[in-house]
Amino acid sequence: MSDLLVLQGLRRSYGDVVALNDLSFEVAAGQVVGFLGPNGAGKTTTMRAIFGLTDLDAGSVLWNGRPVGHADRRRFGYMPEERGLYPGMLVGQQLEYLGRLHGLSLHDAAEATSTWLERLEVADRRDSKVEVLSHGNQQRVQLAAALGHNPDLLVLDEPLSGLDPAGIDAIGKVLVEQARNGCCVLLSSHQLDMMEELCDSVTIIDHGRLVVSGSVDELATSGARRLQVRVEGDRNGDWANALAGVTVSERTGGAVRILLEDSVDSDVVLRAAMMAGRVTEFTFTRRRLSEVFREALE
Amino acid sequence: MKTTLIVVVVAALVVVRLTLFRARRRRKSAQSAERTAQSNADTSTRTTPSTRWNAVEAAFGDVGLVAGREIRERLRGRIFRVGTIIMLLAVSAAIVIPTLHKNNTNGTSLQKIGVVGTLSPVTRDLVLAAAQSNSDTVRFVPEATVAIAKSQLKSGASYFAIIHSDEVLLEQPATEASSPADPGLVNEVAEYLGVVIAYHDAHLTAAQAAAVTNSKAVPIRTLVASSKGTASTPSIIGIVLLFLMLTQYCTWIMIGVMQEKSSRVVEVLLATVRPIQLLGGKVLGIGLVALGQALLLVGVALGLGAAVGSNVLHGSAPLGLLAELAWLVLGYAFYCWVYAAAGSMAERQDQVQTLALPLSIPILFGYIYSITVASSGSPNAFYDFLAYFPPTAPFCMSVLVGLGRATWWEFVASALISIAATAGMAMLASRIYRRAVLRTGGRVSLRVLFNRRSA
Repeated sequence: MSDLLVLQGLRRSYGDVVALNDLSFEVAAGQVVGFLGPNGAGKTTTMRAIFGLTDLDAGSVLWNGRPVGHADRRRFGYMPEERGLYPGMLVGQQLEYLGRLHGLSLHDAAEATSTWLERLEVADRRDSKVEVLSHGNQQRVQLAAALGHNPDLLVLDEPLSGLDPAGIDAIGKVLVEQARNGCCVLLSSHQLDMMEELCDSVTIIDHGRLVVSGSVDELATSGARRLQVRVEGDRNGDWANALAGVTVSERTGGAVRILLEDSVDSDVVLRAAMMAGRVTEFTFTRRRLSEVFREALE
Repeated sequence: MKTTLIVVVVAALVVVRLTLFRARRRRKSAQSAERTAQSNADTSTRTTPSTRWNAVEAAFGDVGLVAGREIRERLRGRIFRVGTIIMLLAVSAAIVIPTLHKNNTNGTSLQKIGVVGTLSPVTRDLVLAAAQSNSDTVRFVPEATVAIAKSQLKSGASYFAIIHSDEVLLEQPATEASSPADPGLVNEVAEYLGVVIAYHDAHLTAAQAAAVTNSKAVPIRTLVASSKGTASTPSIIGIVLLFLMLTQYCTWIMIGVMQEKSSRVVEVLLATVRPIQLLGGKVLGIGLVALGQALLLVGVALGLGAAVGSNVLHGSAPLGLLAELAWLVLGYAFYCWVYAAAGSMAERQDQVQTLALPLSIPILFGYIYSITVASSGSPNAFYDFLAYFPPTAPFCMSVLVGLGRATWWEFVASALISIAATAGMAMLASRIYRRAVLRTGGRVSLRVLFNRRSA
């Protein structure tokens, strides 16, 4: 049986502030699930609830149908939003220590440390103190700490923030590989383009409430038809605003992305674009994750 | 001989320090090579002591692992090593220096005895016999009058004086560290003088023989008021060390908890370890380091005391030292939870200092009051009460034991009260820790600490 994390009706408030409002969703094994929402939407509170780091007013966190217990959490990997490592401790010793707290033997912890430092390209920093590492390398070490015990569930809060493109690629590759090997992966990020590439499905929340959930492919093909049109000398797409049933959703790189209502004929749109100038691009496109996100929160 | 011993002790400490330094350098230089070898090494080739130590850690589960990390990190710290060496030197000095007052003659102490009046041959032989049994040599200093004897005592020309064969006079009690007189010799001479008087009075008849048997020592009078009943010097040193160690180790706990909170590593740890395990491991690890250091100090104190003939082994001093050791453990057990809870409420060094000040007040009060009482030797009823009050009991009960004013059951009763208070404090501290340690970005209010929900 493949693993399954179920969050069921989570509620949590801090005084008058409602952090989680009847939030429910699932993370299945073999999938990378993007957990999206604006700042203060309740993502971190949700992730903390999975690890029992915050008490819930109501709801439950289930792992394979049972409430998550201490033994289950030893098989989970966690990378909190505010990174947490001992600044003065050597990288290798720190990873071995954390691995052993997750139940690994000394030998297995040492082996896993070597493996993951190698994989994440920081093997040469094994004997360095964490505090002397660059932000990106600290991030890699933090990820190694979450991965060292080969977890069944990985929960990563903003793992890509502050990383250079090479770092994002390296970490992204590892996360997808983990999912393909049967791990449940839940990660949050504000880098929606990256999330679109990495994730199999996404869950978007706002004010602690579920707004949208589904596979990236489903969400990309759902909703209104959309066109990406590039007209020489026109970056704003003012020509499209004049058309009935047409909405400009995004202006990006000199092109405009427009939504068409069902009744609108695309030929009409093309003619209007040609009237505005020379058309160099006119393509039906999928809905981007950034558009899904924006439209969900409108 | 004693000077030689001091030199040997200092040399030994320097050698230990150098050995540690060189070992560290060797380790560093070999690290990269070791790393390469390690990655290819068979499990069985890993260092045996390390494996054994890790097995011990594992046997205690998560608490053992956390405690093991604490022990390694503390022992590795320069502050701990330097602090231990300084404390060893201080204890050694406190034990050895007082004994240097007594001059050496081939390992025996030369005692200058003033004599006012005539010393009969029998009395003289008895004094010499007493000196021999105390490993002392004796030089008699004839003095014409009691006034001259007093001035000789004050100047140090004589260590004690025999006045007309029926009284022994000293400047201050022989048991005082600054007194050059051998307390054993003084007591024995006083007893012998009493015997001589008894013989003289009894004329050796049967009844007189009984009188001889029941003879009592003549009074030992001092020019300076006797401080009979005051705690011995080692006991006061023990109180000072108890204070230093309690504050040092509890501050370590507080700073350690604060650092885990401020570095946010606590969130990673609590995702897999229960709060009580994390806190318990930290308390246990630092506590074992404290106990190890204290045992080392007591061991050195007793060993050195025996070697140089210090009065550290006389009277109630060893009992006082052991009581202080026991109260270090009990005091640490009580205060570590208080400091841990406070550390979980702080996020910065300045907040730690603000919190540490009020927490240190009962420790400081108990310490200063105890030093005063130990010096005067006269505890009052309030002090007796404080010996049963857990925050001050570590100091007050130790002093009462040193003064011989506490019975075993009083000691046990105080310890049991302290243990019960510690259990309550541990529960309260765990609750505060769980609620406060994950809350960042502002001061944690009491409402939050005692609210139904945690973080």
